[in-house]
Amino acid sequence: MSALRACNNLRNSLRRVPRLARHISDSVDVESNDGPSVGDHVPRNFEDWSALQLRRAEVGTLIDIFSDYGSNRRQENAFRLRDSVRRPVANATVSSLLAAGAHLGHATSRMNPNFMPYAYGVRANSTVIDLDHTVPLLRRAANLVRAVAFEGGQILFIGTRPDLRKIVKTAAGRIGKQGYYISDRWIPGTLTNSSELFTPAVANEVEVRPDLVILLNPLSNITCIRECALTHIPTIGIIDSDADPRVVMYPIPANDESPQTAEIIAGILSIAGREGLALQMEDEVRVDEAIHQERDEEFWDALEREEHDPDILEEDAAEQRYEEEHGAELPIGRFDH
Amino acid sequence: MSCRMQGLLRASLAPVRRHAFRSPRRALATRGPFVPPLQQMQTGGIPMRQWPMEEDLEYEEEDPDSDSDEEVDKFGELIERGKPAPASPSFYSGRAAYYDQLAQVESAVNHTRSALKMLQLLPLPDFAREALPNRPAVWKTAKEMGADLQVSMTSSRYRAMTRLLGQLNEYYRIAFAAGCDDLALRTRNLLNIFESPAKTAALTRGRRKTLYTDQLGRSYTFGKRKTSTARVWMVPVALPSEELEVVDLEQVASLDEAAALLTSQPDRFHEPQLVPKSTILINNIPVGEYFAVPADRERVVRPLKMTGLLGAYNIFTLVRGGGSTGQSGALAHGIAKGLLVHNPDLGDLMRRTKLLRRDPRMVERKKPGRAKARKGYTWVKR
Repeated sequence: MSALRACNNLRNSLRRVPRLARHISDSVDVESNDGPSVGDHVPRNFEDWSALQLRRAEVGTLIDIFSDYGSNRRQENAFRLRDSVRRPVANATVSSLLAAGAHLGHATSRMNPNFMPYAYGVRANSTVIDLDHTVPLLRRAANLVRAVAFEGGQILFIGTRPDLRKIVKTAAGRIGKQGYYISDRWIPGTLTNSSELFTPAVANEVEVRPDLVILLNPLSNITCIRECALTHIPTIGIIDSDADPRVVMYPIPANDESPQTAEIIAGILSIAGREGLALQMEDEVRVDEAIHQERDEEFWDALEREEHDPDILEEDAAEQRYEEEHGAELPIGRFDH
Repeated sequence: MSCRMQGLLRASLAPVRRHAFRSPRRALATRGPFVPPLQQMQTGGIPMRQWPMEEDLEYEEEDPDSDSDEEVDKFGELIERGKPAPASPSFYSGRAAYYDQLAQVESAVNHTRSALKMLQLLPLPDFAREALPNRPAVWKTAKEMGADLQVSMTSSRYRAMTRLLGQLNEYYRIAFAAGCDDLALRTRNLLNIFESPAKTAALTRGRRKTLYTDQLGRSYTFGKRKTSTARVWMVPVALPSEELEVVDLEQVASLDEAAALLTSQPDRFHEPQLVPKSTILINNIPVGEYFAVPADRERVVRPLKMTGLLGAYNIFTLVRGGGSTGQSGALAHGIAKGLLVHNPDLGDLMRRTKLLRRDPRMVERKKPGRAKARKGYTWVKR
């Protein structure tokens, strides 16, 4: 009964869900008490609560039934707030970076003179970062990540702030077995003193050496940058206006204090890494097929040669001896025409 | 292996310089140079460096004596000589076991939370949350957890772990109360890994030992006051049954019959007693004999009088140590506890009258510079 009433109300009013629920409760007759609806007072006993649960389930079912009708708005063609950690964008645009606040640098008094090429200007005593430089540099870094992942290299994401913890973890997860992350603290000596840090047994057994290091807050991890430089490991880093871009091999000038910027950048780099893995798999399949094809061709070639000229066929010593004793026999599978 | 394939292998090795990082596979140069897919769209503009193709390469003669760095198996693939990569994604943090375990617990918390939301059990109204059955959690100590994971567990790491575990415990309580057996079982299995084996001991620490009556209905309790200790056994007095017929002496036939009745059923020779009669023995001596001073007797009997159970119990006690006041106080304490065992409903009354309180007053020690605990020496002017 209440479902029928709800259908009528749906037809009459094109409103969003919470209002719909209230509309249902408003139009209810005095005699039939359907109980509280979503948005009413907090349930105070079991009857209230079960009524609330039932109502929620009813509304959900109604939405499911009627979502095939009505508006053509879908997730693809409507605005939807995006969880950029779980489902990041694959390509950066200046507008998305602006929206994330990637262009906001630090105070002008703290600007590093080597950062000048990447600075757009000054506004309210703070440096504005030129995103027209950021986008191609980000693309270059993404290409590098893709190439390293393709070659089977270890990629290490470093984000040592609490808000970067989840970002580096999910980014490393996208790169599968080749992705690693540090969310707490870079231990000095990880690369230069690995046998001490990881015990000699582990250091001998396992390759303690990342092939690419991506830093989301490089200024807090100068030790890491230094160790990477000493051990010749390429680095990518988000460089803010108070940092020297030359400390990392592939700087990405952007705001390092904004978690949204870090989400976008880490997302783009990790998706590039995932593409590299996919290309690697494709390539392996192609190589395997090529090898199999080669072997097949060789086999059929050898068979053809044998058919045309049986004398060329190499026999081993044991077979020759047998033939001498017992006489030559037809090979298995060959029929005399 | 064919000559052609070997040639390809040599060709792939000769002009290509060894990279800084090891390539885990593929000696065959069947692929071209790596071109990023996005740049494949762009033609012209940027001139691509031409890598040497198969035809351009010069094949070296096969030299079986030369020592090659890379070994090749019969399919032409490089045998990987390098070390394998670390297995755990948090390897470079130095505490891989801890971070992996933390990530596992965190994902369990997230999954349980979404499952409970789907079942409409979250967010839980306040009245339901208060009605949940209590399940206090006692986690392993930081040292024990550190030993399990083989990492040094600092206080901040321990705090992070126990916070997540507490959250999971809350979700377990909800799932268990709601009857979601599968979810509750899985959560419980994870929580059991971290629960202290001494949980029951920790939870019952400080709690009083449960007192009980044995199969004959006797309670055994203990009382103390000053330096005296009293062991008290109490058993309820059996009331005479009211069905007993009082013997009418005029109807008894002979004297022998009367004598027989007297020995076998002495209770029938008088009216049934409505007031029960009880005995209190202290070191096998009745209370009246043991305590000469009436104040001590009063003190012993006070708990029975307060609760109105004066003749209801036969009490046997053994008391030791101290003097008359201490012993009588100890007895009172023990008797009060015994009364509580037999009548748990009287707990409130006894607590209000402070009968169950072990009197903490002890003899104060003498201090140097004073004649006694408080008494000072006579003050002399000069």
